[in-house]
Amino acid sequence: MAAARVKVPIEVYRFDPTHDAKPHYDRFELDLAPHTPILTALLQIRADRDPTLTMRYSCRSAICGSCAMVVNSKSRLVCQTPVGPEVEKHGKIVIEPMRSLPVLRDLVVEMSPFWGHYRKLEPHLITDPRHPMPADRETPMTPVEVERFKETPRCIACGACYSACPAVEADASFPGPMALAKLYRFVVDPRDSARQDRLVRIQTEGLWLCLRCHLCTEACPKDVQPSQRIRDLKEMAIAAQGATENGSRHALGFKENLRDRGILNELKLVRQTMSPLAMLGQIPQGLKVARKKPETMRKPPKIQELEQIETLYRELDDAPGEKAR
Amino acid sequence: MKLAYYPGCVAQESGKELDLATRWVAKKIGLELVEFPNFSCCGSGFVDEANRTLNVAMNARNLAIAERAGLELLTVCSTCTGMLRLANVELASPEMRHRVDGALAKIGVAYQGTTRVRHLLEVLHEDVGVERLRAMVTRPLTGLKVGAFYGCHLLRPSKELLSESGEEPRSFEDLIAALGATPVLYRGRVMCCGFPILFVKEATANRIAATQIEDAKAHGADAMATPCPLCHTSLDSFQNKAEKAVGHDLHMPVFHLPQLVGLALGATPEELGLPRHLVATDSALRKIGQVAVPA
Repeated sequence: MAAARVKVPIEVYRFDPTHDAKPHYDRFELDLAPHTPILTALLQIRADRDPTLTMRYSCRSAICGSCAMVVNSKSRLVCQTPVGPEVEKHGKIVIEPMRSLPVLRDLVVEMSPFWGHYRKLEPHLITDPRHPMPADRETPMTPVEVERFKETPRCIACGACYSACPAVEADASFPGPMALAKLYRFVVDPRDSARQDRLVRIQTEGLWLCLRCHLCTEACPKDVQPSQRIRDLKEMAIAAQGATENGSRHALGFKENLRDRGILNELKLVRQTMSPLAMLGQIPQGLKVARKKPETMRKPPKIQELEQIETLYRELDDAPGEKAR
Repeated sequence: MKLAYYPGCVAQESGKELDLATRWVAKKIGLELVEFPNFSCCGSGFVDEANRTLNVAMNARNLAIAERAGLELLTVCSTCTGMLRLANVELASPEMRHRVDGALAKIGVAYQGTTRVRHLLEVLHEDVGVERLRAMVTRPLTGLKVGAFYGCHLLRPSKELLSESGEEPRSFEDLIAALGATPVLYRGRVMCCGFPILFVKEATANRIAATQIEDAKAHGADAMATPCPLCHTSLDSFQNKAEKAVGHDLHMPVFHLPQLVGLALGATPEELGLPRHLVATDSALRKIGQVAVPA
């Protein structure tokens, strides 16, 4: 018996920069089984309705990473996203090209900004020339060492995380989740000799622009969890070099701040993060906020049992070897 | 219903209006808030980046306080919710559990791992329920189009936090409809507000906030509402900076979740702390026939 079919209204983004002044959407309606992948629907449109519809795809099995697009606002591989749940939730399927990358035509984007960030971070093994790896035997790793990067090698570089990332969208200097996850993989690789350099460099090359919104982890079709790996990089960067940038000063300052009162002293945190000059620039805004919210200018009361917090800091933050390893 | 009230730092200081509105709504609908002056900050994601184990231990201590009292923990901030829930998740690792238990033992605290963390949004949606809430409405917010803005840490990472959805939640929109207002669906409702990098690279943070406000506006929102005081800071207290970043006015009133509920249940703007907002809420209040807020 044939599977039940559903009406699938699809709106597809169309843009040919050589002819069109601006993009438009073409609307199609198909009858499909709910489990049909969106890629199959697009291929059917191209075969039966409009042979000019342009898209990238290859393996149809979520391995090649070619078919990442925006499906009803979410960045997804269209080969592994079925039509049924999308129609159920949204009444239709809107397909757009990936965000934050220039559109070449229709659903095809130029990937070079994505790869440019990747190359810049040199996510490949860098060994010490003075201690080359032996050529005649393997360099084994312990299971514990391998466990530290069990997720990152799964990455297929589809770009879904890059497309989903609001920091990438707002700031071209942010390397993006994929490049940072790949960097992480070599920072924790015991055979790599550039760990310290990598951690120092990344502090000034965008690490602290990550918003920890976890949209990348949500979008990743391979469960690489880039946001968690970026979090790990931040902790390791602070351990390697201390707080050298606004971002690391803020994280470290926040941690020190809580030790005084158990809750946040907002005004002090500004001092802990910003240079005196930058603070001067914040005075007009600070006064504007304080006029409505006078509490921003006062020290909050200490929590009860503050001594317990102090003990936790002594046990877990002051003790040697207890910080990021 | 009795809950351990965890207001978080911002609601006790610069976001005091959130605390005011929460207490007003709790009283109105019969939630008993038990206070614990020994709660510490959740670390706001920043302590997690500086020292993961310390962050888990501090939150395990908070969770243990509620556990000892036999209460679920009520949060009013998306980030507090995420951080406290993350501690429960991280404690599943035997290594983390061992180190945290060891440190907690030094302060005479043992955490069994049973505390449920509940955001006010979830308590309203799941426990009070949309129908009961609708029945309590005395001043329906008819005619007001509201864009919900969830705050990342209430939703993601969804696999760890077991949230309703990482990218397509609906509970807030359900509540907005129950209050008589019209929910506006827009992409930005699940996006980042820019707050985490407000002190790192302000111009980028401002642009991110502006993107979400403009998106809500483009979809017809008269106002936005958020269950997170950090998002509120970015969207309201720094909206003037977001305007500068995009070069034009935004004029978007932003409510805290319990303020919107309170308005529908008959509270005055003063009782909800609306005069404390940086962006005037008058334009939204006029739509529901409520007098303007004095500056």
